[in-house]
Amino acid sequence: MVAAGLYLKRFYTVVRGEVLVLPSRVIVALFFLVLLGMPLISQNPYLIRVIVLTSIFAILAASWDLLSGFTGQMNFGHALFFGVGAYASAMLNVHLHIPPWGSVPLGAAAAVLTGLIVGIPCLRLKHTYLALTTMAFPIILMGIVFALPDITGGELGISGLQRISNSLIVNYYVYVGIMLVLCTIMWKITDSHTGIIFHAIREDELAVKASGINTTRYKLMAFCLSGFFAGIAGGLYAHYMRIAGPSTLEVSMSFTVVIWAVFGGIATIYGPVAAVFILFPLLEFVRFWPEYRMLIFAVVVLLILLYMPEGLIPWVRDKIEKECPRCKIRNVATRKTCRICTAVLD
Amino acid sequence: MNIIITGLITGSMLALLAISFSLIFGVARIVNIAHTAFYMVAAYCIFSLTGKFGLNPVVGMMIAVVVVTVFGLLAYKFLIDPIREHEAAVLIATIALAMIFQEAVMLIFTGDYRTVSALIEGYFIVMGVKVFFQQVLTFGVVLVVLALLWFLLMKTKLGLAIRSTAEDREVANLMGMNDSRLAMITMGVSVALAGFTGAVLAPLTVLSPYMWMEPLIMMMAVVVLGGLGSIKGSFVAAYILGFTEALVVFVIPKGAFLKGSVALTIMILVLLLRPEGLFGVSFEEER
Amino acid sequence: MKRVTFGWSFFVTLCLVIFMSVPVWGRTIKIGVIGPMNFVQGKGHWNGAIMAAEEINARGGVQVGKEKMNIELVKADSNEFLSMTDATNAMERLMTQDKVDFVVGGFRTEAVLPMQDIAMDYKKIFIGCGAATKSICDRVAENYSRYKYWFRGTPFNERYLVATSFAHLGLAGATIKKELNVPVKCAIVGEKATWVEGMIKAAEATIPKMGFELVGVWRPSAVATDVTAELSAIQKSGANLIFTIFSSSVGITFARQAGELKIPAAQVGINVEAQKDGFWEATKGMGNYVFTMNTYARGIEVNEMTKPFVETYIKRFGEVPTYTADTYSAISYGLVPSIEAVGSLDADKIVAHMENREYMVPSGKVKYQKDAQGRPTHDLTWGPGYLTSLGVQWQDGKLVAVWPNKWKASPTAPEVTYKGMVPLKLPPWMKK
Repeated sequence: MVAAGLYLKRFYTVVRGEVLVLPSRVIVALFFLVLLGMPLISQNPYLIRVIVLTSIFAILAASWDLLSGFTGQMNFGHALFFGVGAYASAMLNVHLHIPPWGSVPLGAAAAVLTGLIVGIPCLRLKHTYLALTTMAFPIILMGIVFALPDITGGELGISGLQRISNSLIVNYYVYVGIMLVLCTIMWKITDSHTGIIFHAIREDELAVKASGINTTRYKLMAFCLSGFFAGIAGGLYAHYMRIAGPSTLEVSMSFTVVIWAVFGGIATIYGPVAAVFILFPLLEFVRFWPEYRMLIFAVVVLLILLYMPEGLIPWVRDKIEKECPRCKIRNVATRKTCRICTAVLD
Repeated sequence: MNIIITGLITGSMLALLAISFSLIFGVARIVNIAHTAFYMVAAYCIFSLTGKFGLNPVVGMMIAVVVVTVFGLLAYKFLIDPIREHEAAVLIATIALAMIFQEAVMLIFTGDYRTVSALIEGYFIVMGVKVFFQQVLTFGVVLVVLALLWFLLMKTKLGLAIRSTAEDREVANLMGMNDSRLAMITMGVSVALAGFTGAVLAPLTVLSPYMWMEPLIMMMAVVVLGGLGSIKGSFVAAYILGFTEALVVFVIPKGAFLKGSVALTIMILVLLLRPEGLFGVSFEEER
Repeated sequence: MKRVTFGWSFFVTLCLVIFMSVPVWGRTIKIGVIGPMNFVQGKGHWNGAIMAAEEINARGGVQVGKEKMNIELVKADSNEFLSMTDATNAMERLMTQDKVDFVVGGFRTEAVLPMQDIAMDYKKIFIGCGAATKSICDRVAENYSRYKYWFRGTPFNERYLVATSFAHLGLAGATIKKELNVPVKCAIVGEKATWVEGMIKAAEATIPKMGFELVGVWRPSAVATDVTAELSAIQKSGANLIFTIFSSSVGITFARQAGELKIPAAQVGINVEAQKDGFWEATKGMGNYVFTMNTYARGIEVNEMTKPFVETYIKRFGEVPTYTADTYSAISYGLVPSIEAVGSLDADKIVAHMENREYMVPSGKVKYQKDAQGRPTHDLTWGPGYLTSLGVQWQDGKLVAVWPNKWKASPTAPEVTYKGMVPLKLPPWMKK
């Protein structure tokens, strides 16, 4: 009893000291709680479906950010990884009857392989060249898909995949849980030593090279990591929709990912995730006005970018938090002095 | 023979689009995804002007080009210029712009396929191949426009300014060039060319709100293959890809749908050998 | 910003709670109409459904047991040409938010398959009005208890599309032989799409058997905007009959450019764009003499129901109904009589009743099939006396019907001719 009380107290102190001090952390905590508690409030299948799809695309957007946002390797063909993941999982599941817990990781592995195949030649390209070249890959793969209808099902895709679970709630927790875990992992990666190198490559590749770091290896690693997470998203998507079709490879898919990520703010991981959680439900929400749906979507994106070219989330974060000029620790915007070093915040 | 004619026509179209895209990229470092959307708007303008208001096609074409140029300048002034420092944001802004155009066209003209009648109907036979007059006309007009463009770039002061800014923006700025105004003018020229392409191509194609997607990809492939910012490169690459597409159709008739994929594969192969494209100058590491 | 997410979910939950707690006054039969509403196909779905609902409500509604119920339509834009997720979300919405009792519509097979799965999850009857792929119905045979709620409303599956096309080719080939007195050389041009694959294979096997010479197969992209290359090659091959298989914009391109270049060959087959009234305008008159399969045509009477339907439709919407407008038949002649016969909205009972019925619709007679092992597939029966569709041809700005005109499905079968047929015309530039 006492021990439990002590733990509770300790837990409370940690929460108070680490979470409640910063509004962004409070929001993240709330986000986790709301997502995990959602089925307790409502089990509306439509709502759950929207959240599950949002989660899948959140992984995808975050994985784009991991590659393009951090290392600056603009990838305009992110649908490639997504499509490879989806198709590979679908083929493994439908033709070889491998259950989802096997087919999704294997699909992700296939996407990693694709990341290697695409990454090696692309490393010689820079900036816009890279962006425009990567855009070509999913289209080429689409050509192959159409050329081999016996294996890929052509434009019908591969249908009849197994569900991860037949229960609505279990499905929900699997998808949301995977999303939360993967996004946390991605965020941790970008926060690690590797992430700092990624970031440095974007800022000044020459300087990183000069410090004796093999940038090629790190860029390739970014390609593989990003491919891995996007592949998982693709596999999950295929199992959820129970079909892997050429729509996963379309140009609009690649574009949408970039829109989400840039809208949310690149090089943050949480930005793209949040952006998907705003934009995807928004698109569903404006269904009451079907003719103007895409128009509203495009206008919202355009207007937000016009006022917040850094992305929505960094803008919001700068409004509610201030960085201490001396020790670089973040503080609530309402504070007058830094919570650590008591330097005056301006 | 067939291959040559089809290749020439496709190539010329791609060349016009790619060169105009290249211009604005070179001067302002703007990757304008909406470029082909302007081309679509021009085609629809002509459709409504000639179809609904019964205007003369030539007048319709001129109005369409003007309308599109105005659209382009407005879009630049209010949507792109304010966020030019943020490359990624500009990119998304142009994608959003293209989507807005697409949806607007969809609302006004619905998703039905439309066509525009040719300026000159009929065909003639060259060496056993039937060729539309419209195709020849288009080809001729494209060559004239390309020549004019070459003259503009090489022989006028504005051209000099555009070229030097494309070469080195900062130094051009130091030399007293108004970077922002130049970008605006280039945007105008670039969009006008896109509109013009739409105008001359409209009678040869089927109009739909999604018609901007396919040429967009090919145009980008051309630009990358030829080397970013290199006008000569875009010109040559456009014809290479145009001929490739035509070849694919003739050599493997059952694989005609693969023409896009094959052209893109060639682009990637070339890039592997020459990462800066055929005629691109490798940029100094920008720091 | 995550507050926004939270706020949004909260708002939705609130809305749901309010929405669900409001009691439903006066029970109606809710029918979801799902389709790409920004496109012709979706508009056809919606128009057909509206017509059905208005007619039924005007005569007092549907007699369900002792109650009279009105039909209430729910429009759902599947946006399926552009986004699969939109399509499935729209379906899920119909099922759980709008709580519809039945669904009609669907077009692109890649979207219909997952939409079908969702409808089956909720055990709701889904009558497909657009996708021709046979595999959608094979699912019913393979897993009856799950997929039995799926019915095909239109069109009949790709195998019968081919069979009808061969009848059309036969008619055109005979005309060519008779009028020009030359052997028939046939070229196949099919857009690159999966539903075309099987048809091309079948055509390659059957065309030589029909006594025609096969000169080649071309596969342009479904959205190609220039087919002059293909056309030159076809002309070089000496073909005088072109078997076209188009469902997309390439149908306009091909017809227009072939007409403009005066390619000396008759175009026969499936060209979905040519089924629309706007085709003449879209090809600027160059699509003259194009022949395509169709479901309805002005002035043609398959049976006594055809004329009232087609004429009312033209009066109301200003155009000849396309085949997706068969949502009308699906509701008026498929669902409603079964509901009234069963006397409840119970899906299982309706399925059991509907799959054994044979009923007349404006385009013929519907009978649901069983496969070789006798398992029901809920697919449509094709043939004389059932559904045959029409062969229509553009003749100088008018879409007229030319088939079935004294058509025999087999040497022993009775001749079939619908009222209002005219003879097939070959393009005049073939006669040189």
